[in-house]
Amino acid sequence: MYIRSVFGPIRTIARNTFREAVRDRVLYNLVLFALLLIGGAIFLGELSGGQEAKIIVDLGLSATLLFGVFIAIFVGVGLVYKEIERRTLYAILSKPVGRGQFLAGKYLGLCLTLLVNVLIMGIGVSLALAYVERGWKPIVLQIWPALVLIYLELTVITGVALLFSSFSTPAVSALLTFLVFIIGHLSADLKSFAASLGGATARWFFSGLYYLLPNLSHYSFITAAAHGYVPSFGALLLALLYAAVYVTVLLSASTLIFSQRNFK
Amino acid sequence: MKAPRKTDLVLATLILTGLAAVVFLAHWTDSHPRQVPSQSSEEELYLKGATAKRMSLAFNGIAADWYWMRSLQYVGRKVVSYGDTHEGRFELDDLGALDLRLLPSLLRVATTLDPQFMAPYEYGAMILPTFDHNEAIALLQYGIEQNPTAWRLYQHLGYIYWQNGEYSKASETYGAGAKLPGAPKWMAEMSARTAAEGGSRGAAREMYQHLFDEAKDEQVKQMFERRLMQLDSFDERDRIRRALADYASRYRRCAGSWRDVTAQLQVLQLRLEAITLAPVDPSGTPYVLAKQGCDVDLNPRSLIPYK
Repeated sequence: MYIRSVFGPIRTIARNTFREAVRDRVLYNLVLFALLLIGGAIFLGELSGGQEAKIIVDLGLSATLLFGVFIAIFVGVGLVYKEIERRTLYAILSKPVGRGQFLAGKYLGLCLTLLVNVLIMGIGVSLALAYVERGWKPIVLQIWPALVLIYLELTVITGVALLFSSFSTPAVSALLTFLVFIIGHLSADLKSFAASLGGATARWFFSGLYYLLPNLSHYSFITAAAHGYVPSFGALLLALLYAAVYVTVLLSASTLIFSQRNFK
Repeated sequence: MKAPRKTDLVLATLILTGLAAVVFLAHWTDSHPRQVPSQSSEEELYLKGATAKRMSLAFNGIAADWYWMRSLQYVGRKVVSYGDTHEGRFELDDLGALDLRLLPSLLRVATTLDPQFMAPYEYGAMILPTFDHNEAIALLQYGIEQNPTAWRLYQHLGYIYWQNGEYSKASETYGAGAKLPGAPKWMAEMSARTAAEGGSRGAAREMYQHLFDEAKDEQVKQMFERRLMQLDSFDERDRIRRALADYASRYRRCAGSWRDVTAQLQVLQLRLEAITLAPVDPSGTPYVLAKQGCDVDLNPRSLIPYK
């Protein structure tokens, strides 16, 4: 009974968010992606000097990440803002739905959209690989752990976008989320930069940034996947745990900020 | 139906005139290409490998692919322009004449972005030694540093040293590669042979044969096939020279035509052309008599590399 009262509204909001994303033609990017892959598979053979499979993996997984990041940012930053603008938020919150439940539902709805997106793109990449490799070679399946990591990265980015959108305008939120995405991939440099600094305060500050900002380099496995490498189960589990903890923190912070807002 | 307004007509005219002007300007620009100084098109790359890697975020793989394809396009463009000025004929052995000064940087960036990407190392090992041994060695050493278990990189590095006449280094490199898991037995044999025979034809034949067997690229395979044919041709020319010397010592003059030495050439089991009875090289082109019939040489039409 308690579980139903907590998760029931979350599920309903998540389902509606997914439907809304589909209605907003968010998944249309898949058509562009398919064209990119087909074009890549056909034409790159001529240009790549026998490296078609590697280039298909690099191109396919990079496009999956890039399109996913764009969806996570541009849809994510509007999740809350649109509801406030349209005043539908008042109707939702007048029902027995907490603000945290509302945010969690919105977050999970977008994650579901991204999951469908990544799944379809992954199938597309696998098919393109089967085409260029003329059959079901191991690489066709070896890319899937990398796709799991890409998806986990997208869930973190969505959480970041949601956090910013809970207190800021969409434009600023998009900019800040994109900056976090960039910094998240430069974590190693941030760490070495902190280590190279002379002053203790500066070193502490940059070390703090390194540990507090999401370290997205854990999820970078595209290049290795193109060579047929597969991350260990332990590494996948650690990445999953990191994402789960980070998303929990982000959603909690978003709820905290969102619950302080006055919508009167 | 509403009659078109005056402003609509003006706008439509403007669009059509504008489009016509654009087509004319594009045509004019095409027929008057800007003269770009050759130095500016050959300028060093703006980005060093490490910077490019940092800037590519999670997309270093695709960035490496882009630099790799750029390397291929760069060489391809040079080959085409060489063909334009040399009656369309280009062999892989002519690479040294192409002025590929940007290629080492392109390959270095590609491999820094993706150190496990083998194709640029193998491509560099084939092409860079034709104009810069040091760059080729540096690229392969970096490759080995990043991929210490890739025995093929040792094979390529050994080949570069061997080409440069550094036989002891070549032998050491083959020896080091032979110890790696998965390395074929012939790597150890090559190490011993290179140390004992250096640049002998036997060592060269074995080297080219393995490179030919391992090569995946059709053009590279063809290049090694020609090198193998060249070695056969060296042997054939030695035998022909002996036949010509026998003839000269017997008749106190050099051969006037191939018919003078046909019997000796047949004894040597050389393939002869049906009409002129000239011996043919491994590519099927007849040899020519040189130095007034006292020596033999490759036909300029032959596919066998001269050097």
